[in-house]
Amino acid sequence: MTTKSLKFPQAFPRPKSATGIWSWIGTVDHKRIGTMYGIVSFIWFLVGGLEALLMRAQLASAENDLIGPEAFNQLFTMHGTTMVFLVIMPLSAAFFNWLIPLQIGARDVAFPRLNALSFWIFLFGSILINFSWVTGDAPNGGWFGYAPNSGTTFNPGLGMTYWVVGLNVLGVASIAAGLNFIVTILNMRAPGMDMFKIPIFTWMTLITSVLIVLAMPVLAVAGIQLMTDRVYGTHFFNSLGGGDPVMWQHIFWLFGHPEVYILILPAMGIVSEVLPTFARKPLFGYPFVVFAGAVIAFMGWFVWSHHMFTVGLGPAANTAFSISTMLIAVPTGVKIFNWLGTLWGGNIRLNTPMLFSISFIAMFTIGGLSGVMHASPPTDAQQQDTYFIVAHFHYVLVGGALLGIFSGIYFWWPKFTGYFLNEKLGIANWALMMIGFNLQFAPMHWLGMDGMPRRIYTYAENMGWEGSNLAASIGGLILGIGILVFIFNVFYSKMNKVMAGDDPWDGRTLEWATSSPPPVHDFDVIPQVQYRDDFWFKKYPETISEYYHDDHDQAVPSGAQLDDEVEEALPVVSGGSDDHGHGAIHLPDMSYYPFILSVGIAILGAGFITNTYVVGAGVPFILWGLLGWSMEPVNDPE
Amino acid sequence: MTQAAATEHHEPVENTSTGLNSRKLMMWAFLGSDVMFFGAFIATYLVYRGKSLVGPYPSEILDIPLTSVSTFVLLMSSLAMVLGLHYVKEGQKNKGTIWILVVVVLGAIFMGFQFYEFREFAHEGLTPRTNIFGTTFFILTGIHGAHVTIGVAWMAFMAYGSHTGALRKDNALDLEIAGLYWHFVDIVWIVIFTVIYLISATDGPPPGVGPTILH
Amino acid sequence: MANLWQKLTHHDGNGWWNLPHGPSNELNPPHEGPIGGAWFGNLWQTLTHGGVSHAGAGFYWLVGFLLAVVTLLEVWLFTVEGLGGWYIPILLILSVAKFVGVVAYFMHLRFDHRMFTYFFASAMIIGILIFTIILFVAEHAHQKPLF
Repeated sequence: MTTKSLKFPQAFPRPKSATGIWSWIGTVDHKRIGTMYGIVSFIWFLVGGLEALLMRAQLASAENDLIGPEAFNQLFTMHGTTMVFLVIMPLSAAFFNWLIPLQIGARDVAFPRLNALSFWIFLFGSILINFSWVTGDAPNGGWFGYAPNSGTTFNPGLGMTYWVVGLNVLGVASIAAGLNFIVTILNMRAPGMDMFKIPIFTWMTLITSVLIVLAMPVLAVAGIQLMTDRVYGTHFFNSLGGGDPVMWQHIFWLFGHPEVYILILPAMGIVSEVLPTFARKPLFGYPFVVFAGAVIAFMGWFVWSHHMFTVGLGPAANTAFSISTMLIAVPTGVKIFNWLGTLWGGNIRLNTPMLFSISFIAMFTIGGLSGVMHASPPTDAQQQDTYFIVAHFHYVLVGGALLGIFSGIYFWWPKFTGYFLNEKLGIANWALMMIGFNLQFAPMHWLGMDGMPRRIYTYAENMGWEGSNLAASIGGLILGIGILVFIFNVFYSKMNKVMAGDDPWDGRTLEWATSSPPPVHDFDVIPQVQYRDDFWFKKYPETISEYYHDDHDQAVPSGAQLDDEVEEALPVVSGGSDDHGHGAIHLPDMSYYPFILSVGIAILGAGFITNTYVVGAGVPFILWGLLGWSMEPVNDPE
Repeated sequence: MTQAAATEHHEPVENTSTGLNSRKLMMWAFLGSDVMFFGAFIATYLVYRGKSLVGPYPSEILDIPLTSVSTFVLLMSSLAMVLGLHYVKEGQKNKGTIWILVVVVLGAIFMGFQFYEFREFAHEGLTPRTNIFGTTFFILTGIHGAHVTIGVAWMAFMAYGSHTGALRKDNALDLEIAGLYWHFVDIVWIVIFTVIYLISATDGPPPGVGPTILH
Repeated sequence: MANLWQKLTHHDGNGWWNLPHGPSNELNPPHEGPIGGAWFGNLWQTLTHGGVSHAGAGFYWLVGFLLAVVTLLEVWLFTVEGLGGWYIPILLILSVAKFVGVVAYFMHLRFDHRMFTYFFASAMIIGILIFTIILFVAEHAHQKPLF
């Protein structure tokens, strides 16, 4: 059959070279995209951290006048927005990109060009939202943008428009990435890798992606409504026009609560990979961890009103949401016991990743427990909008998500680059971060109990808050020094390379089966999977009988038999994403259309902020990107 | 048709872990995402139903006969869509092209109805800025209209592809995926028609407030 | 109980939640013919069991006709006086029927792999639950306690 297909005139030749700027702009390689996600979001991490330090400097003493109230509002708004949307989410995405294809034994994600699109939209969206600093009118309505404070009446500048449009642009990137990883995990697994044999980090990625795909549209709705309120004068959250500001809280937290699980589940996945590796035991109760993750993801939808206990929804709603909030602590607790069970009786090695992971368990437990405290509406009425809440979510997000991510960075750095991060500097980094973090946020519990409100730019001298605030500020400084040690470590380790080899930690999952750093095509031969933690059991076939003794379950081959099977299995190569048949390694060609499409979307977003003509200027780029993309073959004919 | 013909119709089994096509799987996941998107807008509409402080109120302005016709047009475009896919899958190029073109035309007619309706409403004094009904109504139906516009463009692209022979029996999946999107836009309208038009059309002014439009 | 757990987690090493793997997955039982020319004989089969990847044009016309009839019925109900409290429930049921008709037959969910149904249904279930809760909470926010 003749295969006729439509052709779109190419403005530029398709990028081919493996080096240079075009190789990055046109790349569809999940590893390069993961690296770009990591670098860009780390830069935003430094920006967000600087914002936090400025706030801590202002609050270090009573009646300080280092920073005015207006700038302080902008700082806490952008600090929250940056850390949630531009740091933790994309840093997790960096791990998804790097690891998911490696962990499931694939050559790339299911939609490599869509993956590139996600990154470029994220990049432009993050620049858009931070561009407001340049215009001198940064968002100042809090990271949750409560109406009516975020409306034009109380917030006439462009700041909150930047915020809301920027979030919508970022939402597009998140949804595209979420869809991509769902399909990748379901459809691109290596032969023999059933759903209950995929690594636990992959499971958590799948659950996170489902949450992203279902929750981000809700944020998009809130964003569109606030944007039309601000730009076109609609009345969604304007009580003078019949709207209701409480509706903003409903829709925002309807997104916002699943969002906190989007932030924490990837870190839980990382920790669930690090602990078994350094305890040299399989994860205790793998199905429990998976089901607990799934239950958290489901129940996470039914707890949003615990952010609104003091709004006055009535006793019935408060009771119901209080119960569901307390219940969701159960699956979270299940996971903590699974991690403890993993450590129990293990042959523990205390390398840097392990230190970070163990700290994660401790800090996350503290943050989780203070969360259960304000699951009770009367208690919450006391704690709402105080530093107690600030302490709670920093223990969960810094002590939880960020420590998990650092654990992952130290753990997988040898896989990403081929060399270790320096262990001594790593331990210094860990120690400084732990000391600084606890010194910064533990006093906030007492400050909150003592009634210090959030989001105030200064406080009176006679409140008795100075000591704790000073401690918190010093803690923030130490935490910042810890991060600087990390940056130094990165450069130091690059200068003084200690080569790691393919499997430095005696790992359990498939990413350790390929070389470090992995080749462009990830695996020379797509692995055949027989067991959960297959790579471990291939290395240590004698341990199989310890874990698989049910005869109906897995027929337990002796070591010799296993070797035979492996050898037989080796020549079989799955085609993966490409349909080009068996045997040949075909990777998708590079494409510049994702970049062009994302430029169009960024211009479109900028148009909603500035004026409608700019929206029109974005449309040609979008059409160019879409048409060119849809008519571009995955691989050019040779 | 015979048994043999039945097996011919079977989709090729994909070389993926689930045996399902990745793009189709992604389309369904995206539709799940879009369910939440429209769900939030419809929920907003329902929460704000009957909360308008000033007119025009729905009972004064909604034109059920007109919208019934446009609803019917969109429903029939779904039928045309599924027939177009049927004929493309059967390899009947011309019939397939014609039915896809019918989808484009019916979709465009629907957009025309919506444009006319919006203009009429604005003429009678209902804009997104007038009251909360105007806000929720225009943004919800406008977002739906944007979906229809994208769908019409996509279908026009498909019709062109079918005409030139780039869309064939063997890659009918491209059309099937576009069709899923089109049908989804249709089912959203099924909900909107019921909730905004048929159910709300009797929502008048609050007690004690006279009519705000004098015909 | 042990058996159930086995099914949930370990059955075939894949579990109850298992996803089909590859070609072994049953797609469409070959004994159920398409409707096509002789569609009437197989109509009930198609409506209730699915089983054919691709129904005939006649079948789609029939579904389209039924959807049109339901729409007309809805519009007619609008003109009927005195339905009172029944009006909204009846309309909702009819629109759910149309919704299901399009999703099941035009979007082929009835004939397609169940996984697609899971995808769509899970979003529908979460969406319907949370948005119903929002309506309830918004409606009853300022009323006196239930108990």
